[in-house]
Amino acid sequence: MDKILEIHKLSAGYGPLRVLHEIDLSLNKGERIGLVGLNGHGKTTLIRAITHMTEWQQGSIKFDGIEIGGNRSFGAGRRTASIVRKGISVAPQGDAIFPGLTVRQHLHCGAFSKTAWNEKENRINKIFEIFTPLKKLEHVLVGKLSGGERRMVSIGRMLMEEAKLYLIDEPTLGLAPKIYSSLLNAIWSLNLKNSSMIIAEQNVGLLSKNVDRLIGIYAGKLRGEVGHVELK
Amino acid sequence: MDISIIAYALNLASIYALMAISISMIWSSIGMINMSHGATFAVSGYSAWYFSVIFKPIIFSFFGKTLLAQILMGSVLIGSAMLAGALCGLVIYFLAFLPIHDKPNYPVRSLIITLGINIASIQLLLYFFGARNKGLPKIFGFGRFEIFNIPIRYDQAGTIISTSIILLIMLIWLRHSRMGIEIRAMMQNPEGAAYSGISRRITAIPVLMITGSLAGISAALLSQTIFVSPTSGSIPLIKGLTIALLGGLGNVPGAMIGAILVGFLEAIVGSIQQRYVMFATFIFIITILIIRPRGIGGLLDNTRE
Repeated sequence: MDKILEIHKLSAGYGPLRVLHEIDLSLNKGERIGLVGLNGHGKTTLIRAITHMTEWQQGSIKFDGIEIGGNRSFGAGRRTASIVRKGISVAPQGDAIFPGLTVRQHLHCGAFSKTAWNEKENRINKIFEIFTPLKKLEHVLVGKLSGGERRMVSIGRMLMEEAKLYLIDEPTLGLAPKIYSSLLNAIWSLNLKNSSMIIAEQNVGLLSKNVDRLIGIYAGKLRGEVGHVELK
Repeated sequence: MDISIIAYALNLASIYALMAISISMIWSSIGMINMSHGATFAVSGYSAWYFSVIFKPIIFSFFGKTLLAQILMGSVLIGSAMLAGALCGLVIYFLAFLPIHDKPNYPVRSLIITLGINIASIQLLLYFFGARNKGLPKIFGFGRFEIFNIPIRYDQAGTIISTSIILLIMLIWLRHSRMGIEIRAMMQNPEGAAYSGISRRITAIPVLMITGSLAGISAALLSQTIFVSPTSGSIPLIKGLTIALLGGLGNVPGAMIGAILVGFLEAIVGSIQQRYVMFATFIFIITILIIRPRGIGGLLDNTRE
């Protein structure tokens, strides 16, 4: 089985604070994994470390055979754009939207590769089919949207690119159950044949049965696989 | 009131618009208030003068006093000004952007560095070329004509028309290209921009070079009306900064509207009493900013972060 992502002895943190402690993780092609754990135990930091958004990090990260990790003690976000262009698409925590751009311009932003930019209109139509409420809000500034609509914009921006690896950070953060269940159903119904996905989430019940593996993270260390549980 | 001030007002407005748009674009994309824009203006004016002095005898000995020679002269003038402006943009990139762009306190530091570049290059120009004003060849020729009973000089007409063409191209480019979206997105959320594959370090190069060459064009066009001197950039810099603020920093159409308003205000006040021009301009800008703190094109008034 080909590995899309191989993380070996990854540590990362912010300033004097060490959040991740020598994490080993590997991900097969086409696999969906859920990352579960409490607040402050390193889910977001792991996702940020893969894209070089932490303040410092050390350890190897192999993405599709190419080394994108390494030791680094400054320059947060300096390499992010080039790493993202290798085929990683991210929906960050807290959405990271541009308040002064419209929904359509956001989706244009997401299409950074040449092929995606050339067929952006088709892809935007596909995203409007997945997230139907966005169709009406096409020309509204995203700064005026509600939290749920912003999350749809953020995930739509992620889907504009045909990536090998999708990273979704807490898609349910701050949303009402009715809204996030429809959002998650949209994510599960995506037809991503050749791409893998990591979803960080606190609610195990929402992920179980929909992902291939559930991995627990506690105090900056991975704690093996978590069993699937039924949502009561 | 004399009707001929319309041409004068539009002439002022087009120079101000070129300056204000470049300052506004630099702010909205890389978050730098570029105080060295005045130096870029002066340096490109001098470069235009220098190359026109070199090429003038060559061109006129080959083509004589024909229209072709006139066009060639104009393209040498504007081309050399644009090239010098773009080079100044590169210098600003390497001195004031690249070393400090991800360090703390970047906006204030870059403001101070660019102010330093401004002062240093004015002194260098004084040292090498002296304080005497330089007159550039008139690329649009001498004379005047009338449209709807408004007398317009050739240099005014040339400035207004070429500025309108340049601004139209800029607006279309900013609206429809990937770079235009990148420029608007970068400042609003750096993290989101990085996740959208936008690299600040790479996008800053074309932004600074294009805005530098816009300053070069405005220097070449203004030199058709007034002389070039080492300090000729400071008034356009101040006007450009305040108009960029008036239009809402980062908003190109707002900066255009602001430039037209200020141009007409200055022309009207100047026709009554010349010494009240600056006074009236700044009162106007302060009043607008009290009413609309984010400027005329204030985009983010009703949004939340």
